Amino acid sequence: MALQRDGRERRHQPARQGWSLRNYMALFMVVLLGVAGLAAFAVRTMAEMDAQQTAMADANFAAKTAATEIATDFTLLEKTTDQLAANPTVAAVLSRAGSCGLTFTPGAFSKGHLDIISSDGSVRCSSQPLPKGPVYGLSDWLPVAMQSRTTVAPFLDPVSGEISAVVASPVGAGLGIVAAIVTLAPLGPSLAASLGGARHLEFLVTTKDSRTVLTRSIASARWVGADLAGTPFARSGGGVERPDVDGTDRLYAQVPVASTAWIVFAGADKAAALAAADQLSNRSIAIIVGGVAIMLLVTSVVYRRIAEPVRRLSLVMRGSTAGDAVKAVGPTGAAEVTNLAWDFDRLMATVKHELADRLTKEQKALVSERNYRQLFESHPQPMWLYDVHTLCFLKVNDAAVERYGYSREEFLAMTIRDIRPPQDLPKFLELIATAQPQLDKTGPWRHLLKDGSTVQVLITSHSTTFDDHEARLVLAEDLTESQQLELELHQSQARAEANAELSKAKDEMVSMVSHEMRTPLASIVGFAELLVTRKVTPAQRAEYLGVMLQEGRRLTALINDFLDLRRIEGGHLTMRFAPADIQALIKRGVALVADPAGIPIQIRVPSNMPLVRIDGDAIFRVVANLLSNARKYSPHGGEIVVGAAVVADMVEVYVQDQGLGIPADALSQVFRRFFRVDNPDRNGIKGTGLGLSICKNIVEAHGGTIGVESDGLGKGARFHFTVPLARETARTGDVLVLEDDSGFAHLLQAELTGLGLSSTWAADAETAERLMIKKSARAVVLDLLLPGLQGEAFLHRLRIKHGAEIPVVVVTLKDLDPAESLVLYKAGVTAILRKGPGMAETAARMIAKSLTAESQAAELVTG
Amino acid sequence: MRTRTPPGLQVLRTVVIADDESSMRLLVHATIESDDYCVVEAADGAEAWAMVQQHRPALVLLDVQMPGRSGLEVLRLIKADPSLAATRVILLTAKAQETDIESGLIAGADFYLTKPFSPLDLLTRVEEALQL
Repeated sequence: MALQRDGRERRHQPARQGWSLRNYMALFMVVLLGVAGLAAFAVRTMAEMDAQQTAMADANFAAKTAATEIATDFTLLEKTTDQLAANPTVAAVLSRAGSCGLTFTPGAFSKGHLDIISSDGSVRCSSQPLPKGPVYGLSDWLPVAMQSRTTVAPFLDPVSGEISAVVASPVGAGLGIVAAIVTLAPLGPSLAASLGGARHLEFLVTTKDSRTVLTRSIASARWVGADLAGTPFARSGGGVERPDVDGTDRLYAQVPVASTAWIVFAGADKAAALAAADQLSNRSIAIIVGGVAIMLLVTSVVYRRIAEPVRRLSLVMRGSTAGDAVKAVGPTGAAEVTNLAWDFDRLMATVKHELADRLTKEQKALVSERNYRQLFESHPQPMWLYDVHTLCFLKVNDAAVERYGYSREEFLAMTIRDIRPPQDLPKFLELIATAQPQLDKTGPWRHLLKDGSTVQVLITSHSTTFDDHEARLVLAEDLTESQQLELELHQSQARAEANAELSKAKDEMVSMVSHEMRTPLASIVGFAELLVTRKVTPAQRAEYLGVMLQEGRRLTALINDFLDLRRIEGGHLTMRFAPADIQALIKRGVALVADPAGIPIQIRVPSNMPLVRIDGDAIFRVVANLLSNARKYSPHGGEIVVGAAVVADMVEVYVQDQGLGIPADALSQVFRRFFRVDNPDRNGIKGTGLGLSICKNIVEAHGGTIGVESDGLGKGARFHFTVPLARETARTGDVLVLEDDSGFAHLLQAELTGLGLSSTWAADAETAERLMIKKSARAVVLDLLLPGLQGEAFLHRLRIKHGAEIPVVVVTLKDLDPAESLVLYKAGVTAILRKGPGMAETAARMIAKSLTAESQAAELVTG
Repeated sequence: MRTRTPPGLQVLRTVVIADDESSMRLLVHATIESDDYCVVEAADGAEAWAMVQQHRPALVLLDVQMPGRSGLEVLRLIKADPSLAATRVILLTAKAQETDIESGLIAGADFYLTKPFSPLDLLTRVEEALQL
């Protein structure tokens, strides 16, 4: 069942293993954004690298070109000075004073002048106005230049006042020199103008040792001739990427100038290169972002067209009724979704139809249930439900409240015993103690109303369950006059029918019994006649008399059994049920049939057997009968086992032997009257053929069953019967009646009930002890002569276990001598009464009085 | 099988007593004890029929209600056997109804006695049957 339900639920609620479309969309977007981010990053990185590489290439190219240009320029200058120095005119100019003129085109150098300088340092001829005096006399390069061609830089030209470079060639032998003096400062900007372009290139030309600036493209005036030491450029030590003298990061390429051994640095502005790259990458990123935005837009549109309608459709399916589906999805969804919605709507329409149908049915069921309830609640006759175990009212209808006078609350606090007059209680309890049929009609009963009056009612009841209670529904019908007449008529008819049946059965019985009696009677009469009419030997006489005695006894047993059976079958033997200890009863039965010569009978009864509700005398008879049969039909000995066990709500008692057994065809007949198994192996075994029939009747009167199993002749037999467990009643008895005479016990109980005292009866001391443990009665009526444990012993144990306070009244047939009486009085017995007429009433009054005194004493103590 | 007459007197006629109650066999046996015939006892119908076939008795005293074969069955067997035409049968019955008596007589019994019976009466009937 559980499995099935699980399966059904699984069908209704599919395991959410997959992602929702929304999740997939989200994941898609995340991936998209991630890829876009990565792409942007890659674009930027690549653009930067590209920009740096381009910048480096530019720088390299620029540096090389610059170096070549400088070298070319200087070569040109050298050629110019060499040619001029070799010109005889120059030597003439130097050797004799006179005027001369020179023209000089500085080429790459924007400014400069060509001079013919004498050995003392004075300018003899110049491309510009002549300065006065030996202006170059102090220049340290002059002596060197007198010897060979020399290139010197930097050098502060005293004529122009600018940092300059000098290319000087000697003229003749010590006559003087031809010197081209060019200003260095414009070189840098000139290089930048022709090579730098828009590349943000910085040109820096230094001396061979990279310590002194010869020219620079940026702020050349400031840096020409300056010492590099201390600048960020020098500090960085070298490498491609280094700051320039101002601290701006640049990418440098360096190339030496071929003729002068100067070094040309071309530095690309890194920031500018990167800025360009950034610009580029920014554009790319802008494109990516645009693409992503378009993708998101597309996704969102798709989502809105598919996922959103599906979600809404799902919501509609979960929570809404038919018809909303299409409205919820609308005409905006994708065609497939819209179709799905339409399909769903059609499905929902069908479901709605079905649902409406079912609702109508449920409503009908509700109405029907209400109608049924009204059948109970508004039934004109009193009705109620009660729990069959506790006897408590579970539900009463209005008519019951009105008729009986109790309020609903009062009813629900009562048991069904409380509406019976006390004198009817025993009969009532007997009725409910027996297993009631499914549907039962009983009555007339007398019921007590709240005002104390009684009414005659017919009870119709049937078993049912109510709120997990095992219950009976009861309809109490007032007995009208005509009904009463009808009932009486019916009863008399039933009686007549029963009588007819009974008389037929009686005839049959009479015929059978007369037949069974004839054999022993024939022996007795026959032998008696022989003894009277013949002369017999003493041995014969003894033999005949022995047979007569035996047959006479047999006849007596037969008559007794027969009468018992008649009583039981005719319903004249009233069973008086009381709680009883089955173990004690079985032990007494075993003691009765015990044979010191034979194998002891085994008793197998669990120690914790619950009490049974039986007529102790009757069931004792059954046990004794089965045990004596087991003994009788085990002529060769063999183990006999008697045991008991709880089976469902009954106790099963069994007697197992290993004797002669019963053939299969006879098993079903052994409980019939006068049936005896026909087999030579049991010819010598006497029996009336009534014992098992009596047993069957007794057991059935207890609501139990009796049966037998046997594997066949010589294989033994197992007889078993069941008796009901004693039910826990809602109220415990005030008084425990320990009395083995069921008739007197009944009388006592009736008297106690009349005095408003409830009572529990036990037919033996063993049962009484167990009842005391369970219920602890407030007083005890005690018989002394008991089966099993005797009254005195019980009293002794009672005082030990339950103290001296419980009042005990002894009612007995036993003749007590003064000493015995004294012992009893010492044990706290209130009174010792001799069993006889009227004594039940006396005993009950004494008990009531002692209990009143006790409660008054208790009140005094508490007061 | 139990016999009270001494063996060796097989020439004597035999009387078979068939009853499942030992007390009844004892009573009948004690009643009809005689030197003129030999008495044998059977405890049920089957044994009775076996003894009838063995001893070919002059008289059979049959209890009607016996385990195994009933007295009436044994009676029918005797009457059906032509070689037992001389065998007389007296029924002993605890049943006293007319129908029982009729069925017993129709089956061919020579006489019947209802329990309890008078031993002297029984003896008279036995002597009559044996024509002593």
